[in-house]
Amino acid sequence: MNRKRKSGMERKMERQYFLIVLPGFVIFTIGLIIPTILAFRYSLTSWDGLSAEKPFVGFQNYVNLLHDSNFLQAWGFTILFTIGNTVIQNVCALLFAVALDSGIRLQKVYRTIFFIPCLISSVIVGFIWLKMYSNVLPEFNEIFGTNINFLLFGSSSTVLPGLLIANNWQWIGYWMLIYLAGLQSIPAELYEAAKVDGAGAFSRFKNITLPMLAPSITICVVGITTGSLKVYDLLVSSTGGGPGRASTSVILHTYNTAISGRQYGYGSAMSVSLVIVLLLVALIQVKSLRSREVQQ
Amino acid sequence: MKFKTKVKKPEEQITPKKYTGGTLATQIVMTVLAILFLLPIFMVFNYSFKTKKELYLTSALTLPSSLQFENYKKAFVKLDLSTTFTNTFVYTALSVLILAFLCGMTAWAIARCKGKFFKFSYIYFLVGILIPYQALFLPIYIIGYRLHLTNTRYGIIFMYVATGISFGVFLMTSFMSTVPTELEEAARIDGCSVFKTYFRVVLPLLKPAMATLIIMQSFQIWNDYLLASLYVSKKNLKTLTVVIQSLFSSQTSDYTTAMAAIVISVLPIAVLFLSLQKYFIKGMTVGAVKG
Repeated sequence: MNRKRKSGMERKMERQYFLIVLPGFVIFTIGLIIPTILAFRYSLTSWDGLSAEKPFVGFQNYVNLLHDSNFLQAWGFTILFTIGNTVIQNVCALLFAVALDSGIRLQKVYRTIFFIPCLISSVIVGFIWLKMYSNVLPEFNEIFGTNINFLLFGSSSTVLPGLLIANNWQWIGYWMLIYLAGLQSIPAELYEAAKVDGAGAFSRFKNITLPMLAPSITICVVGITTGSLKVYDLLVSSTGGGPGRASTSVILHTYNTAISGRQYGYGSAMSVSLVIVLLLVALIQVKSLRSREVQQ
Repeated sequence: MKFKTKVKKPEEQITPKKYTGGTLATQIVMTVLAILFLLPIFMVFNYSFKTKKELYLTSALTLPSSLQFENYKKAFVKLDLSTTFTNTFVYTALSVLILAFLCGMTAWAIARCKGKFFKFSYIYFLVGILIPYQALFLPIYIIGYRLHLTNTRYGIIFMYVATGISFGVFLMTSFMSTVPTELEEAARIDGCSVFKTYFRVVLPLLKPAMATLIIMQSFQIWNDYLLASLYVSKKNLKTLTVVIQSLFSSQTSDYTTAMAAIVISVLPIAVLFLSLQKYFIKGMTVGAVKG
């Protein structure tokens, strides 16, 4: 086809292609891009969500956020939850994948068992673990004659580990599957060559497995971090943000401020802060992890 | 900007690993872990068959004396299951079908056209993957309220489509490089319009990618809580997760019904996953194995 001269035919085709893209483009713009812009606009006002006028206050909401101890506490919890998840879930998912790939029998059965929890809605997972801690696990104390306190959601010092266990139970299998697919795409010859060269199991893992898994690691780290920063559903039915405010995440706090507290402007500033952090974290992680992929 | 998906070796081709003492140890450890992972699921099933009396008088670990479905019947009524199940099913099914339809078209046009608008569109959609709609629930709610989308069926479907579209376009575009252009050119020479070419020639070739997209999104939409709780407050429009959540908060002491409700709500998605695992895994790893 002649590319230089745009015939009427080609222009007509381009118009048809354009019409094909348009519906998706419009829906996406209304549903996601305009809300992003609106969030920023509202964050510069002290709107209560009801009245017609939205008094402009400039960056006052953002200044107030920096002195809002409840908001900072919500960030504190969210960050600890995210770090805990990113470390535990990545390490466990990778170890599980390596174990399943080591030639054990019934690999598919294990794979399905570990994967099933992630098919359950987070709201339900929260409730399941609420009952696990309050009713099921204490029964083991009677069987083994131990005296472990399983009521992890009951005190503000144990609520974070309690939620981490619930979240990891839900998601380890998901990320394990990605690592497993990565492991299975590593050519077996690499390991054999290393064995001939006399490399031990640990050295093979460090020098072959990890570098070859770099793309999977990028996906998992970014996925777990951004997913954990957005935690909300899990909390609704398990702790409700408590005890006190110990497990209130940024989104839950925003929800309470904006919807229940009728501070739309202030709540929007919280949303914007989260969007910015999420974008930055994702970009920084992708960039640094990608550069590692290239080096090796 | 296009991603090649590496062809994965089928498991059979890999030389079987030797079963050593170490493998046996691994097998034992993984079995213990698998039992621990199954414990919460066992608990849900166990409670769902217990009577109220058994709940209070017996240990959480003992099995129910008989297999009775009273809790399931109660859950059926309390959840207003015929309505909520249908709602959830309709929202999920329509959203994923629209998504598959839109994303397939959009990704195809983006992959085939070299114009500025199409290049921009691709980046534009990709940005959406990074923007978390969960963080934007407030303006999403406001815009829905303004456009009269709240408390309507098409409103919530619209939002599911809008929030799922960027992942869909990404997934489909990465698949487009495997679709041969020769057939399309032949169709064009035969005088087919762009639309006709898409529906007659391209669409049938996209089936595997669409299956992947549909499964990935069904599972997300079926389990969604935040959007459903924001957009739908009318009783006859509510979804399973929303109703179950209110059941949780109203039934804190007698939760056998809630456990039966959990089984009912998880079962369809579990069956879908178990029967279509292959496509699911493909969708999950599309990002992981991009070269």
